[in-house]
This record gives sequence, C-alpha cells and structure tokens, in this order.
Amino acid sequence: MIPNALCFGDEFPAAGAPCLVQVEEHGLTVNFASDTTDDQSESVPFSSLTVSAGGLDHDQLVVKWAGQKGERTLYLKNPDVIRAFRQAAPDQLSHSFEQAAERVRQVRHRSRLVWGLVGGVFLATVLGLWFQSDLLVEIAVSRIPVEWEQKLGESAYRDFLSHQEVMKEGPAVAALGEMTQRMTAQIPDSPYKFEVTVVKSDVVNAFALPGGYVVVFTGLMKKAESGEEVAGVLSHELNHVLQRHGLERIVKSLGIMTVAAIVFGNQQGLVGMMKQLGVELFTLKFGREQETEADLTGLQLLQRAKIDPSGMITFFERLSEKDEGRMEWLSTHPMSAARADRLKAELAALPKKSPEPFTFDWKQVQASIGSQTVVVP
Amino acid sequence: MKSEILYPGAFPMVRVDLAAGENIKAESGAMVACSPTIDIESKMEGGFLGALSRKFLTGEKFFFQTLRASRGPGEALLAPTVPGEIVILELDGVNEYMVQKDGFLAGADTIVIESKMQGLSRGLLGGEGFFILKISGKGTLVLNSFGAIHKIELKPDQEYIVDNSHLVAWSSTTSYNIEKATSGWVASFTSGEGFVCRFRGPGLVYIQSRNPGSFGAWIRQFIPVSE
Ligand SMILES: [Zn+2]
Repeated sequence: MIPNALCFGDEFPAAGAPCLVQVEEHGLTVNFASDTTDDQSESVPFSSLTVSAGGLDHDQLVVKWAGQKGERTLYLKNPDVIRAFRQAAPDQLSHSFEQAAERVRQVRHRSRLVWGLVGGVFLATVLGLWFQSDLLVEIAVSRIPVEWEQKLGESAYRDFLSHQEVMKEGPAVAALGEMTQRMTAQIPDSPYKFEVTVVKSDVVNAFALPGGYVVVFTGLMKKAESGEEVAGVLSHELNHVLQRHGLERIVKSLGIMTVAAIVFGNQQGLVGMMKQLGVELFTLKFGREQETEADLTGLQLLQRAKIDPSGMITFFERLSEKDEGRMEWLSTHPMSAARADRLKAELAALPKKSPEPFTFDWKQVQASIGSQTVVVP
Repeated sequence: MKSEILYPGAFPMVRVDLAAGENIKAESGAMVACSPTIDIESKMEGGFLGALSRKFLTGEKFFFQTLRASRGPGEALLAPTVPGEIVILELDGVNEYMVQKDGFLAGADTIVIESKMQGLSRGLLGGEGFFILKISGKGTLVLNSFGAIHKIELKPDQEYIVDNSHLVAWSSTTSYNIEKATSGWVASFTSGEGFVCRFRGPGLVYIQSRNPGSFGAWIRQFIPVSE
C-alpha cells in the first residue's frame, strides 16, 4: 500500500498516520497501514464530511468528520485524489469545495502579486545600476587581482601565437621594443609587465589582451608612414590594458551572476566560467566610452614619453578613410570623424612639448618586413 | 541507510552504515571520518543554476555532498558545526518537512530536497530568511540543532507560539502566522524586537533550545574591539 494522505486523530501519532484514501460512489474509504494486524479501513459517507483548505501554503485539502473513535482530520495533497473527490462529491459539498478552491487561489494570487512587485523593484534597481553607472561591473573588476588577469590574458596570448608566424628579431622588433620602452618608462607604478610581439601577417591590426599582452601585425606597420603612427596605436592599446577595459567587457558579457560571484567572494571560477560560456577574448568589442578613454589617456602617454602625438591622429584618420585592404583594427575600434576631431581638440589643449625622435629609421624598418614602396594610385 | 546517534547530548555524531553502492546526501563539511570504501562527491543539487541561486539567495552552502559506497559497504561519521542535538526522522513518503537552512545534516538518497520561497511577511519577519528547505520523499532524514531539540506535537487546530529563531523544522500540515512578540518574550539581542510564530496543528514542530543569534551577540561582548 502506498499512502496518499495523512490522518490525524486522538489515537494517531502527532505527525499523522499515513493512509490510502480512495474515492467511492457514496463516500471515502480510508485504509490505514498496519504492521501487526490486517489493514484497517474506515468508510465515511460524503454527507458527514466537511472540507476546507489548509496546511502551510493553504494548498492541501482538509477533510473532517466525526468518527466512531472521535474527531478525524485528513490532509490530502495528491491532485488525482482531490480531483476524483471533487467530481464524485454531492451538491451540498461542492459549495465548500468552491470556497476552499477560491481561498487557495486568493492566497496564491496575493503571494504572486507581492513577489512580482518585489521582483520588479529588485530587477529595476539592478538594471538601473547595470546600465547607468556600470557600478557593479567596476566593483567586480576592482576585485579581480592583476595576477588573474595576467593568467587569463597569457593563456589566450600563447594559444594565439602558437598559430602565428612570430618575428623574433630584426629592426621591426627593435623598433617596437624602443616604443614600448619609452612609454612604459612613464608608467613606473603599473602592475603590468607589457609584452609586445610582432606577428608576420598582412592584416592591418594590433590588439592588447588583459594583463598586458600586445600583438602588432606587420600589416599595420606597413600601412604606417612613421614610427610615431605605430606608437599612437600602441599607446592606445596599452591604455586599454591599464584601464582594464578587456576585463570590464568580460565581466559584462558574463553577466550578473558572475559579477555577483566575484563581488561576493569566489574569484576562482572566472577562468573556468569563461571557458564554459565560450567567451572569446579576441572578439571582445570595446565600448565607445572605453575607446574615448583609451584615446585620451593614450594621447597623454605619448605626450609624456615625448613621442609626437600628431602621428596617432593622422594614422587614425588615414585608417578610417581607406576601406580597401583588411583593416581589422577598425572592426574592433570603430573609427569616426568625431573621434579624430576630439583628439585634435585634446591635443591643442595639451601643453606643447618638443618631441624627441626615435633612434630608428622608419623606412628601414619597413624595408625589413618586406614592405614595397607604397604607390599611391 | 542505517544510522545511529553516538554520544547523544551536546556533542553528538551520527554513524551512517552504507550498503555497497548506496548513496547518501550530507551537508558539505559534515564528514568527520569514513571507511576507505566511501567516495565523496560534491554534487550540485538542482543543477548549476539551482545551486548558484541557493547559494546567493539562502546563503546556504553551494554544494551538498554525496557520500557513495562505491567499493563495497562502509560507514561514515558525520557531525554538525555547532554544538547541539541530532535527531533522526523517517519520512514515509506522505509527510513533508520544512527545515530552516542550517538544520539539515544528512539524508537518504531517496529524499527530495527543494529550496522553497516563503511568503513575504514570513520571509521578512520569520528570521529563517526567504528560503527554507522543503524535504519530502521516503527515507531517513538527519537534522541538527543548536542546543537540544524539542518536539512539539500539535493536534488539529491546536496552537502554540514559538520564538522564530528557535525553529528547526515543522511539518507541512501545520500553518503559522508571524506575530510581533508582546513584552515578556525574550527579545532577541540583535533586533531588540522579537517576532514569534503562532503555529496551528495538526503536525510536528521541532525547536532548538538555544538561539544562535542571541548566542552570537553574547559572545561578541567578550571580544575586544580593535580601535
Ligand atoms: Zn581601442
């Protein structure tokens, strides 16, 4: 016998006696499980029953009657039994059935309403924080240690480089080393140790991974007319790292649960969670504010390093004009006229400094990476 | 799952005998010692999101542990974090218990554990938080308490008033309302304002003889505050 109800009464345990309730034509039959004697059963006609709703959530059907051995109370939960009972019950019971059902509906409706309201307010608050100030993202990002960021970036970086033709030495590597050195000398307190790699590819691109891992493609170096122009892109990329833009993007795209996980304690899961959700570091697009920030701080960094900042602006402008070739850098760094204008205005506001030229000859650097003389059509 | 309470009283342990291949659920961190035939798996009850939401919403441990007698029969010794009694209940498949989140110690694999949202006023005032565990199914359930466990038996429509921070578990055939404690009730140290639950039978209510919040507040007064 599999019990489907609990019966309460004076001689039963306080937790209720498990029993099997069956709906018959004229009433209910209640079978009690018993180890010692044969199964005891009790039949009650519908006419002597009263029904109501009860239990913790008012979702149980409470059936009461006066038995030979005293008051009996039955708690029914099984929906099949309740349905059968309702169908078989005579008219005088159906009124109390409707009342009980109405009470359950009311309780459920009320709690749904209240929870809906609470949920709505909560969601609105969270979304408000989320979209307006990105406060949660900032808090989350600030809690991620730099070592984590480096681990994250480095694994993606090594993975990427293993499929590429890396330039180990030569004038191009030396030139980028000099640029990096000039700029990082201006940020002595930075926790990042920048690593810049030149990759042989005609793609016009450069990118920085979280933690300070920078890749510059020879395609971009071929397009540049001076070392200062490449330095402009490099400075922009370094500042994406310094401002932790990649991390902000990751946290944002991983969603609120991750943010919560990071803010409230568990940082361990981030790398695993990224893998699980398939977040691609290379396809992360920066937001417009982040681009502006990287532009402006990039410009200031060039200025401090005494590298002519106008190279950055002319290169950005030239990249945005020409749409031929594979200008990959633009797909992750959307360029607009307004962006260049803003930089020009910013540059004009900065105090004038006399730039110090690089020690290398840019044309020789370009020649070393196999650049043909650019023929302007 | 056969279980026996060792050292009943303030510092008990429970010994659980597992047949070969048998699993049980336990609160993570409850394991004290076990036979080498037993493997411990951290299982996320209700899937990843379920476990995650439980962690954030109930503050409960992220994982339940599953103890599995993979390499033959064996036994495990389990103990709760706080000093207090352990009680073993046999669920018969019809009875269901609501258990406040720290009350669960272990259970047979056949019992079902769900996180359940309470009504708003119960959640706000009840002291057990918005989420409690609803435990149903058939098999052994082991609960633990802070202090001694006392069982209150309620007949149909019989009422009883309990300070909410002393609640451990109660059957789902009971119902209750939250009421503001009238003066005379021990106001909790932390809130300064006590709430009580007016339970109505039929069913069982298990309460603990000590209040964790008040105990914490009492301890705190002896801890030197660094300026
Ligand atoms: Zn950018």
